[in-house]
Amino acid sequence: MFPLLEAVITMSDFKSLKVLDKFKFAFQKANIDYPMMREILHIKLLMDARRVPTIFNEAKERSGNQFLKSLWIYALMGLILIPFLFGEHFIFQMSILFSIVMFIVMTSMISDFSSVLLDVRDKMVLNTKPIDPKTINAAKVIHITIYLVFLSVAFVGIPLIVGLFNHGVIFFLVSLLCFMFINILVLILTAIVYITILRFFDGEKLKDIINYIQILLSISMVVGYQLVARSFNIVNLDISYTFEWWHTFMPPIWYGAIYDMIMNGTVNQTYSILATLGIVVPFLALALYVKLIPSFERNLEKLLTNSGKHKKAKDWWMKLFSQLIVRKKQEKIFFDFAGRMIRNERDYKLKVYPSIAMALAFPFIFIINDLILRTMEEIREGNMYFAMYVCFMMIPAGVQMLQYSSTEKGAWIYRAAPIEDIRVSHRATLKAFFAKLFIPVYLILSLIFLLIFSERVAPFLIGLLLSATVYARICYHIFFKKSLPFSESFKVAQSKQTGEAFGMLALIVLFGVIHYVANIFSYGLIIHGLILLVVNILIWRK
Amino acid sequence: MCKSDEVVLSIKNVSKSYGATQVLNSINLEVYKGQIIGYIGPNGAGKSTTVKMMLGLITEFEGNIEIFNHNIKTGGAAYKSRIGYVPENGEIYDSLTPLEYLSFVGGLYGMNNEEIIHKTSELMELFDLEDMLHTRISSFSKGMRQKVLIIASLIHNPDLLFLDEPLSGLDANSMMIVKEILEQLANQGKTIFYSSHIMDVVEKISNRIVLLTNGEIVADGSFEQLQQQSKEGSLEEIFNQLTGFDQHKEIANQFVSIVRSGDNNV
Repeated sequence: MFPLLEAVITMSDFKSLKVLDKFKFAFQKANIDYPMMREILHIKLLMDARRVPTIFNEAKERSGNQFLKSLWIYALMGLILIPFLFGEHFIFQMSILFSIVMFIVMTSMISDFSSVLLDVRDKMVLNTKPIDPKTINAAKVIHITIYLVFLSVAFVGIPLIVGLFNHGVIFFLVSLLCFMFINILVLILTAIVYITILRFFDGEKLKDIINYIQILLSISMVVGYQLVARSFNIVNLDISYTFEWWHTFMPPIWYGAIYDMIMNGTVNQTYSILATLGIVVPFLALALYVKLIPSFERNLEKLLTNSGKHKKAKDWWMKLFSQLIVRKKQEKIFFDFAGRMIRNERDYKLKVYPSIAMALAFPFIFIINDLILRTMEEIREGNMYFAMYVCFMMIPAGVQMLQYSSTEKGAWIYRAAPIEDIRVSHRATLKAFFAKLFIPVYLILSLIFLLIFSERVAPFLIGLLLSATVYARICYHIFFKKSLPFSESFKVAQSKQTGEAFGMLALIVLFGVIHYVANIFSYGLIIHGLILLVVNILIWRK
Repeated sequence: MCKSDEVVLSIKNVSKSYGATQVLNSINLEVYKGQIIGYIGPNGAGKSTTVKMMLGLITEFEGNIEIFNHNIKTGGAAYKSRIGYVPENGEIYDSLTPLEYLSFVGGLYGMNNEEIIHKTSELMELFDLEDMLHTRISSFSKGMRQKVLIIASLIHNPDLLFLDEPLSGLDANSMMIVKEILEQLANQGKTIFYSSHIMDVVEKISNRIVLLTNGEIVADGSFEQLQQQSKEGSLEEIFNQLTGFDQHKEIANQFVSIVRSGDNNV
């Protein structure tokens, strides 16, 4: 009579939960209702395994946990850690290694798991039931931890085995502990940052601030990574470490010190301080987090509140470009729409702004690196301005995300409205991306490059812009196979099209090399520019 | 009431199936100018599917649909500029503000910007939302969202309206306003296709009721006609009778007894 009942009972169990069962005693000691927590986790993992199909491609339903399916890409990225496992300069090598690990864990924590941490729907479903809030919170943390463990294992698994063979069992065990510490640290630090913001803001403002903090965190991870690399004198092959006061604030260096103490037996005061920090801070953070949870839960409610009047956003910039680069009326409407979506979609900003920051910073990092080998004068005379091609990396990131929206179901309007040719929407959306995001980056970089390299790079800059428009159009074509702008859910975004994204990054090199080669011949730049111009006209016609 | 013989919408032998399941089974329907059609039926009867077909959200089906004498399969998208639509679950790009969203929608319907801004601000004011013009829709309550969607469906002064549960989330006062708006629009010759599960409202506002069940039209006529045919008093009862449902008491009894069955464990 009740076939449902049967289905519920035979519902498959998760391996991760079976592993968790082994730690049952620990939870019960902490007064957590373990069976209840397990039940909650089970449902959450089940939901993660079922992603929503998109509205226009009803037939093509993707099943299975998309996050787990994307792990291989982390495993692949993990291979870059291997070079740091050879040699005995542990403080240097392991600090770099841990900054990379921290960077990866932190960015994925911010972009993929913030929604879990800040989930308000949980409240409606779980907090109305007779469950101890402590259990709900534990479930939340464990839910994220399970994924962090998967991610870490995928990312550091192969390097760890290499380390085991290379440096022995002690190294392996120390690594396991340190990776655990750094995971706890990242998880809790992110949570504490959110807790702090939630105290001071509410409503839409709060969501904006969280968005900016998320962007800021991911940018600072990029910068931090550079700082760690720079705190060692890499050029001199005998790497020397001198302690600076700000190293106490760099967690990767704490762990580097631990390795140096254990593996090389170096014991001195600074190392002891750094190593102690590495062990004590995660526990302190954990204690602080437990203490702050109640107020966190209370303040989470603020995400739902709604505060007063808002002013109209000014967008003279987009109006200007609407007049400059958009002709047809319907295209203008899509242009305005896309520009506003780019401005307002928080998920979009979160996924794209960090790469914009990199696009702005990396050209200069390349030049600064070059300063070690040559003088500023030599650089000004040379070809280093080709480093500006690095800013192209914001294009695939930005274009790919144009498919998604947090409210993708609103896309019914594309079909319900009298649109004669939907291709207009594609061109307009890409133009809006250019006007809103790429052109500003381009202008800033161009200005600084003109100052550094003098006006002789002006033809280069024009050629670069022409390349960018061709490149973006190719990216768009590759990423938008069938989808319409803003018509798919961000939930399916994270693991999709990683192959395409890598391919597009490789294509940047090709564009740069062609330009570089053209630069060698006389009239090369002019021919290069003319060809690009013709290609542009052809591919932007429709 | 100003009703005419002008056919606004005609559905001829329309069928639709998803794989093996037949959702619509050869439907025929002619709708005249100025009618308010209460389009009702149990969940899964195919109501939303029909509406989505007429809007062009679903493009593959058998049979023909003509709107304003244009076959929608072959006639291009222009017919859509005379249609307004309120989707059933309040789906909207909610990271935009109402003004931004309505500028987009109005623009797609070919309106110019001044007209949109002007109409939007006045309509929003009538719905008591004048302070919210520049606030993201994501922070709106269900009723406020619904008001924005209603404005979005009417801003271009369409001749044919498809409303899917348009009153959901609205408070009693706003409901009265919207019902009155619909009546006045119909009096001025607009045609309204109204689907809902709230029978009292359908009974009151529609001048023609179409009942769909299992992909077929089982009743079509004014409320009085349906009353005479089925010898039942309210639309709710007519609905029960025509959809062959008479077990609500038994099911409720069983439901309550299952709910209570755990009591002796406590």
